[in-house]
Amino acid sequence: MNTPRAIDANLARCESCAQLCKLTDGDRGQCPRCGSAVSLRYRHSLQRTLALCLASIFLLIPANTLPIMTVNNLGNGQPDTIMSGVIRLWQADLAAIAAIVFIASILVPILKLLALILLMCVVKMRLRLSSDQCTRLYRFVHLIGRWSMLDLFMISILVSVVGLGNIASVDAGPGATAFAAVVILTMLAANCFDPRLIWDLEEND
Amino acid sequence: MHPLNCACPDCDLLLSLPAGSSRRQRYCPRCNASLGSGRGSFPALASTALAGLILFFPAVTLPLMRFTLAGQSDNNSVWEGIADLWQQGFPLLAVTVMVCSLLAPLVQLLVCFSIACCVQLSRFPAYYPSLLKIANTAKHWSMLEVYAIGILVAYVKMMGDGDVTILSGCYCLAAVMVCAILSEQLFDNDHAWAAWQQGKAP
Repeated sequence: MNTPRAIDANLARCESCAQLCKLTDGDRGQCPRCGSAVSLRYRHSLQRTLALCLASIFLLIPANTLPIMTVNNLGNGQPDTIMSGVIRLWQADLAAIAAIVFIASILVPILKLLALILLMCVVKMRLRLSSDQCTRLYRFVHLIGRWSMLDLFMISILVSVVGLGNIASVDAGPGATAFAAVVILTMLAANCFDPRLIWDLEEND
Repeated sequence: MHPLNCACPDCDLLLSLPAGSSRRQRYCPRCNASLGSGRGSFPALASTALAGLILFFPAVTLPLMRFTLAGQSDNNSVWEGIADLWQQGFPLLAVTVMVCSLLAPLVQLLVCFSIACCVQLSRFPAYYPSLLKIANTAKHWSMLEVYAIGILVAYVKMMGDGDVTILSGCYCLAAVMVCAILSEQLFDNDHAWAAWQQGKAP
């Protein structure tokens, strides 16, 4: 043992008040300060993360193939998927906005899922990657997750601001609900992953 | 030598921090995780949260922008955006947008204001621990800054099709966003728990 870990002293950090709690009975207990349930590591961290990731991967298919919104202009409706919306922005010479939407709606969810799968592989298969860099990757996944909501907020704004009857209107599409589910499930998956599992590998070598 | 009194949230390293000192601006020597959140005083937190709360109602009900095409115009607000999604038959989407753009920021501002008042007045009601736990959850789901970029993208998207005017709701919403981000930065979780523990003791 080269570094002092809380788990070796049977100490757990409380998730809500950051108090160190001495656990006397097994790996679970109650924080003496705030009364929250504490445990040495998140309960079933890998199983929960994997389940939420799998659900997100399946939902990515309807999210990307079904239309997320339909723009009606003088009676002509054009259903748009996420990708066709990006292409339309690009063709309208709005390259910067197209890039923002592409990064937020397509790159971020896929990169998040790949990163979480990589982190789970590192823990489960004991891959020899730098713990420091894996932790940075985990923090990055946490940080970027919320930005995928961008497209959904934009739809909510467009749906209500463009309502001119037959002249122009915007309707949401079923793909948007699937995409919302992907964003929420990946955020929950990132919450369920315990980064301390990465550092535990160094101790057990 | 101080006792080992703190564990890193990301790598479980046991650390010793001087007693009484706040953990803000302290980082784990092994993985560089931040060991505490927030910096700032509770009066500052109370005033920012209150400013956000005052502006909150106009921010979600006043129109954000007006779209004009062929002589006809329509405007929207945050609340109408959610209601329209619900009416079009997307309740799940409406609830998601409502939680992230309206409910979570409101709860965050309310709870931050109450916590700051409790600490400042040294009066801790029985539900004070729940307030602190709610504050940590609400700040995770409050996404006004993402909503602001959403407004920008929607604005640019509509510019090519008709005339778009930014209305007063946009300015209120921007101010609420600044207040929400500031209250997150000013909220010192460790200090709030320590103050409660001290208040309970005598």
